[in-house]
Amino acid sequence: MLPFWLLLPTVLFVAVIQVYPALYTVWLSVQQREPSGWVFVGLGNFKRLLSLSRFSESAGHTVVFLVGYASLTMLLGFLIALLLNRTTHLSGLYLTLIFIPWTIADLLAGVVIRLLVQPDYGLLTGILQNPSLFPPDGLSFLTDTRPPPWIGDFPFPPSPAMVLLILVATWRALPFVTLLMLAALQTVPSEILESSKIDGANEFQIARLILIPLMLPTMVVALSNLILTGMNGVGTVFSLTRGGPGSSTDVLSYMLYTTGWRELNFGRAASLALMIAAINLLLIMGTLRLTRTEERSRQDA
Amino acid sequence: MRRIVGPASKTRRQIPLHLVLILVCLAVMLPIGTTVLISLKRQEDTVRRPPIIFPCDTATSSFDLSACRWATEGYQRVLAPKPSLTSPLGFVLTGNMLRLYIPNSLLYASSSALLVMLLSALSGYALSRFRFTGHRLLMTSFLIVMGVPWLTELLALYQMRVTMAKMLPFYNDRVFIVLVYTGFWLPLSVWIAKGFFDAIPRELEEAALIDGCSPLGALFRILAPLSAPGLAAIFLYTFVAVWNEFIAGYLLIAKNNQKPVMFGLYDFLGQSTISLQVVAAACILIALPVIILFLFTRRSFFKAMVEGAVKG
Repeated sequence: MLPFWLLLPTVLFVAVIQVYPALYTVWLSVQQREPSGWVFVGLGNFKRLLSLSRFSESAGHTVVFLVGYASLTMLLGFLIALLLNRTTHLSGLYLTLIFIPWTIADLLAGVVIRLLVQPDYGLLTGILQNPSLFPPDGLSFLTDTRPPPWIGDFPFPPSPAMVLLILVATWRALPFVTLLMLAALQTVPSEILESSKIDGANEFQIARLILIPLMLPTMVVALSNLILTGMNGVGTVFSLTRGGPGSSTDVLSYMLYTTGWRELNFGRAASLALMIAAINLLLIMGTLRLTRTEERSRQDA
Repeated sequence: MRRIVGPASKTRRQIPLHLVLILVCLAVMLPIGTTVLISLKRQEDTVRRPPIIFPCDTATSSFDLSACRWATEGYQRVLAPKPSLTSPLGFVLTGNMLRLYIPNSLLYASSSALLVMLLSALSGYALSRFRFTGHRLLMTSFLIVMGVPWLTELLALYQMRVTMAKMLPFYNDRVFIVLVYTGFWLPLSVWIAKGFFDAIPRELEEAALIDGCSPLGALFRILAPLSAPGLAAIFLYTFVAVWNEFIAGYLLIAKNNQKPVMFGLYDFLGQSTISLQVVAAACILIALPVIILFLFTRRSFFKAMVEGAVKG
């Protein structure tokens, strides 16, 4: 009976603070607030949500944001980890410095970057507004509107504000990914690397054929973490752009926040929350499935 | 094929590597460095057009070290020192940031971190040392729960708060927010704690059990000291996470004087949009405790993160 008593408080906490609210959200998603109280509306909230142009627009922004920030963070994290793994001296110092942005809160990160790029007085504004560096008339991250989309309504190429949002998210997530990649790199046996060098493999071949396959499990972990924080984080949008300019950085999590607490439409917010949770789950299961097939094909080969 | 190289030439070959890494560090630290610079400027130097990086220009030269106009105006407006006869320092700091928000966040972060550490130690021990029906199910459920978005749960927690505040006469926002934070960061910490316990050889406590120690005694006398670094890492990780959390503290606490430090920053953004040096000073004051904590304890941070992520 001992493990039962040891686990009981934790299970109770998780049940009350996480499981019950999640189930309550399921209930909330089929309700609508009327003056008389909550009224059952079936899938009405979902139907209404899917018909909103704001929903499809936010979904597009979220795709651009996630793809941009996850690929940039994974690539930079891998490269920096490779460099750190090579250095014989000072790698601890570099890692510590690179890690400091991780301790910066998402809300704070938005504020700090705003100070850098805001119109007129930001420290980088002098450089950004130089027309010869950024033709035709300088770059203003927070006020420039979105360039015309290439394909239909899909928000690509992104607005400067979206690029900035991706950079800020990358800045905060990079330490964690770099650390994970470095830890994985250090478990790669040096004999394999040495023998492949003797066999004449170049750096790119070593990375593609040896390091990436060996580090794949860690990369999946890193990627799922990135997807989760990227989908759910709202603090940076809150302090950096508030979804603007126009609606160019209005991602799904920010839409969830405004639907719930600005418009006080909890029923619709709950249906949106469930969709975000479902997308989260699908993306993570997809990432896991990808590794499994990759591993199997490697075993077959 | 392999050349034998001495340590000196190896170091020399690494120079480009170090240059790249120094550039990366500079780029990563740039936003923090510029915020420090802004926080130390006078109001009129923060609104110059075009903006200046150092407040050190004179009529004749663009950078003159002896003419620098550093100021603590921003910090003074955040901390709002007032002369006081009773204080031993001769002044008291009356700014809401230091008087209310930072103590509030210290309270919330340390209490939830303590609770998370204790509960995850108990559960991590149970999951590491005992096999029982539902073991796998429990571990998987903790994992799935981590995948549910924070905002999804907040929708319900917000409604829960409203109902409880109405129904329960002893309801208290401070207690509720600590419980919410604890429940939120427990699943991850349980995984981390299980990993730490798995790494401690079973033989140690088996010997203690044979010598007549109870399982709980073994936990506290043998395992607790050995797992102390890991548990400290869980405490620190949760502390930083709660300190940096904004949205729950903002939505689930009604009274402004009970709100945490991130709300303090949000509050500043609303009232002084143009006083950049004040906003920057507030940012530095909020980030500094966590950065210092991290610098002193970075090894346990790294350990907890790798452990939590790889096992989870």
